[in-house]
Amino acid sequence: MRERDPIQLPVAGLLAVIAVAAWFGAGYFGQELLAEIAILAIFAMSLDLLVGVAGMVSLGHAGFLALGAYATAGATVFWGWPPAAALAFSVAVAGACALGVGLFAVRLGGVFFIMITLAIGQMFYAYFFKARAFGGDNGMSGTPRFDLSPLGLETGDPAVFSALMLVIAGAVYVALLLLVRSPFGMMLTAIHQNENRLASLGCPVRRYKLAAFGLGGAIAGLAGALMAQHTGFVSPDLAFWTLSGEALIIVILGGSGSLVGAAGGAAVFVMLRDHLSDGSFWEGLRLSGDIATHWQLVMGLFFIAVVLLARDGLYGRLSWLVDRVRSAWRGRGGGA
Amino acid sequence: MTRKTSTLAAALTVLAFSFPAYAADPIKIGVLLPSSGVFAGLGGDQTLALEMGFDDFGREVAGRPIELIPADTESKPNSGLAQFKKLVFKDEVDIVVGIISSAVAGAVRDAAHNAKVPLIISNAGNNPLTGEQCSPWILRTSFSNSQIVREMGPWMAAKGYNNVFLMAFDYAAGHQMMDAFREGFVAAGGNIAGEEFPPLGETKDFGPYLAKVKAAKPDAAFVFFAGGPAIKFVKEWAAFGLKGEVTLAGAGWLNSALYVKKQGMDAEGALGILNYVPSIDTPENAAFQENFRAAHGRDGSEFGVAAYDSARLIVEALKATGGATDDKAALVAAMREVHFEGPRGPFRIDPMTNNVVQNIYIFEVQPQGDSVAAIVQDVIPDVQDPPKGCTL
Amino acid sequence: MLLDPEFLIVQTLNGLQLSALLFLLSIGLSVVFGLINFINLAHGTLFMLGAYFALSAARAFDSFWLVLLVAPVGVAVVGGLLYLVLLRHMQRADPMKQVLVTFGLIFVGLESVMIVWGPLPHTIDVPALLAGSSSVLGQVYPTYRLFIIALGLAVFLLLYLGLERTRLGAIVRAGVDNRTMVAALGIDIGLVFFLVFCLGCGLAGLAGVVAAPVFSIFPGMDMSVLILALIVVVLGGPGSLKGAGLGSLIIGIADTYGQVLVPELARVTIYALMALILIFKPAGLVPVRSGH
Repeated sequence: MRERDPIQLPVAGLLAVIAVAAWFGAGYFGQELLAEIAILAIFAMSLDLLVGVAGMVSLGHAGFLALGAYATAGATVFWGWPPAAALAFSVAVAGACALGVGLFAVRLGGVFFIMITLAIGQMFYAYFFKARAFGGDNGMSGTPRFDLSPLGLETGDPAVFSALMLVIAGAVYVALLLLVRSPFGMMLTAIHQNENRLASLGCPVRRYKLAAFGLGGAIAGLAGALMAQHTGFVSPDLAFWTLSGEALIIVILGGSGSLVGAAGGAAVFVMLRDHLSDGSFWEGLRLSGDIATHWQLVMGLFFIAVVLLARDGLYGRLSWLVDRVRSAWRGRGGGA
Repeated sequence: MTRKTSTLAAALTVLAFSFPAYAADPIKIGVLLPSSGVFAGLGGDQTLALEMGFDDFGREVAGRPIELIPADTESKPNSGLAQFKKLVFKDEVDIVVGIISSAVAGAVRDAAHNAKVPLIISNAGNNPLTGEQCSPWILRTSFSNSQIVREMGPWMAAKGYNNVFLMAFDYAAGHQMMDAFREGFVAAGGNIAGEEFPPLGETKDFGPYLAKVKAAKPDAAFVFFAGGPAIKFVKEWAAFGLKGEVTLAGAGWLNSALYVKKQGMDAEGALGILNYVPSIDTPENAAFQENFRAAHGRDGSEFGVAAYDSARLIVEALKATGGATDDKAALVAAMREVHFEGPRGPFRIDPMTNNVVQNIYIFEVQPQGDSVAAIVQDVIPDVQDPPKGCTL
Repeated sequence: MLLDPEFLIVQTLNGLQLSALLFLLSIGLSVVFGLINFINLAHGTLFMLGAYFALSAARAFDSFWLVLLVAPVGVAVVGGLLYLVLLRHMQRADPMKQVLVTFGLIFVGLESVMIVWGPLPHTIDVPALLAGSSSVLGQVYPTYRLFIIALGLAVFLLLYLGLERTRLGAIVRAGVDNRTMVAALGIDIGLVFFLVFCLGCGLAGLAGVVAAPVFSIFPGMDMSVLILALIVVVLGGPGSLKGAGLGSLIIGIADTYGQVLVPELARVTIYALMALILIFKPAGLVPVRSGH
């Protein structure tokens, strides 16, 4: 437990500055990547709430992402709802389903929690794969983006859309940070550290965990709804368990429990994937561009390296570095 | 070090692009094929044939070299869409060619339509792509699912098969294939003995379904499976004692040139319908197969031919525009005019739907040497899709 | 159709055949899980590797029986190396990190297989002795599938005897029950665990070898079995031989009949079954652990 978390806000500020700079510098494709990063960051932060804060490792979190995406796709395409209303609907559906699932899942701990969330995530996958109404395995296109024309904004323009996604990601971050620092969040952290002690103190541990699980699901649903808007397309792949696994890697890479780390991890992850699968990147390293064909091998090795070496993630390392620099500075200052 | 090098590379790239375009500017073609995921094998096959196509028809048009930029769809819709955007908006390609999976094609469709960049689909057979979702910017050189299968029902009815069992994986392509067969077969007076749709990708065992076929006692079965499951299905069919009892017929990927030899004698006697088989007896096909065998030591497949013809389509259209690629509408118009005799027979693009018009072949798997091969039994010339809901 | 004896016989044999494969696949996973609460997501990858090793061995040796011996040993060696290089250091890590390291291995395994053997599907032939069909209660049934059922049964019996009658077996049983206690008795539980891990990997490889002639060999065949194997483990109760046997039987039969009787819900039912079992019997149908 970090008693103090002095670098949380500076790092968040730094990320925000980088994001704004990237937004101004990005071309058409860069904007696409930025929007993808922002949405993935929301998803990763929602998982971090479960994993890093409340200590519940879910391998089925992508199920709620997919629920949100499909709810938005269904509401806009079948019922003609405006995207903003569909977004609220997505959050509600994903949150409600997460609460329903959580009712059972939070009774379990450790590996068994991982296994049951995996099974439930795969249930969503199997369902969407077969759902004829949503195009089954072929998925479904046609989800529209927010209509901001009254404000004079055209969300079809990647720059506008990516800016919007960055703003929403920022808002989600602030909301989650306030939540984590609230008494509710403190309690979750305490449960994470010693569940038995809190239970013996009479704390309704399961109710807290359930609330966190439902909230995490709802935010994943939000990310799903935005993803459906971004790509205009939903498919069962969104629920597949490997996506949950990748999100966990992002959380660890960034630094589990640090929120802002999850956002940074998402950025690193997307950029890395984009580079590794691009032949010109490898040629830039004076290697054969054909390596790009097997980029998933490199990605897998990277996953392993992250888990083995990251310990407390990029955020933790940065935190450690700042501490060292500070104490060195103080040491020198004291001597002078 | 790594970061420095890539920053340097990025800087160089930016520099390179800040010069104004001049005549020797390469013509950039995005190749959107999977090198990972379930369709990696087919993606690899099409990549080889596409390369061979550009070798044969020209790597340079009007002094401009043709540059191929590969992008891995991972056989996943979301990755396919992301890679399409990368090709179009980052690499700024002039043409995109590829796409094995219909799910990927569905994901890319709107983006391609809006980007107004020519997209040549070299495999994905989902009917709506050249039906109600057709786009003036999307051409298909491979097939539509119903285009392949439609003629098989009447043909089998005429051959005296009255009672046929249907089977395909439970996904869009499986249903489209079976619907197209059923429609023609029932109209010709046939009876459907039963139908089964096992879940896609998760069926580790065809046994339960073969037991059902046995119990239904049909004259024949018409099935659609491809890749690993196709090999497995044919072997299981024989092992369960159905071979010789019930005629096995299928959309021809069941006995694709990529693996019919691995099925061996278990496949013997199977009937198939497809837009290409290696045994087509024309000089164009003989030349293609000879080249392909020399380079890769095996028969070129229907997947390869579609990619090979796509390369030819691109080169001939570019020649027609004199190597100009700035006017994308003119480029697409030129593509729609291209026609030639390819390995699979006469090739042209249907102006009504942008789908290919091609011969469809009915074959039987027969012993050949110490192995088996698909031997053509019948040809249905110039099969064209009705423009179902497509107005171009 | 359910009352049609032909259908019942063939379908039940199919179910048993799937059960036998699932048993071979899941027993290693289960014992490792039971011993140190370690979930190896790369277990499916070892299954796939078994099939590919069989492919190469079949090209080299021309004898299926030799292949049946060599390929699983090869997989056991790979498993052993993985253990020594990577997994040994993960034992004290939290479950998430263990799961994610093996998650990374899935990608590495998949791409390695594609690099070495190419992305196209392969097949290997059934040995002549087992190639034909046999008659079971009047039904034509592939002999090779009967062989798989017999093999699954034989391995179950061998493991049972091994666990009940040998010293190593006693240590493993004790280790699953209470690891600390065994270590306190001065037994090198690390070595025991290493051997069990290798054996489990070898059995996953064996499953891959026997599955290869029936299912064809392709990159990604690991994914199709991984989740099923995990379900078997959780259902039966981690660490329990009988549990793995029972779980395999239930899932094998349920999946086989479920697919043809209620195809709309084919997989959903199995996931739901696993979720239900976890909720009401978190330690599985045959719980083994008394304390930890």
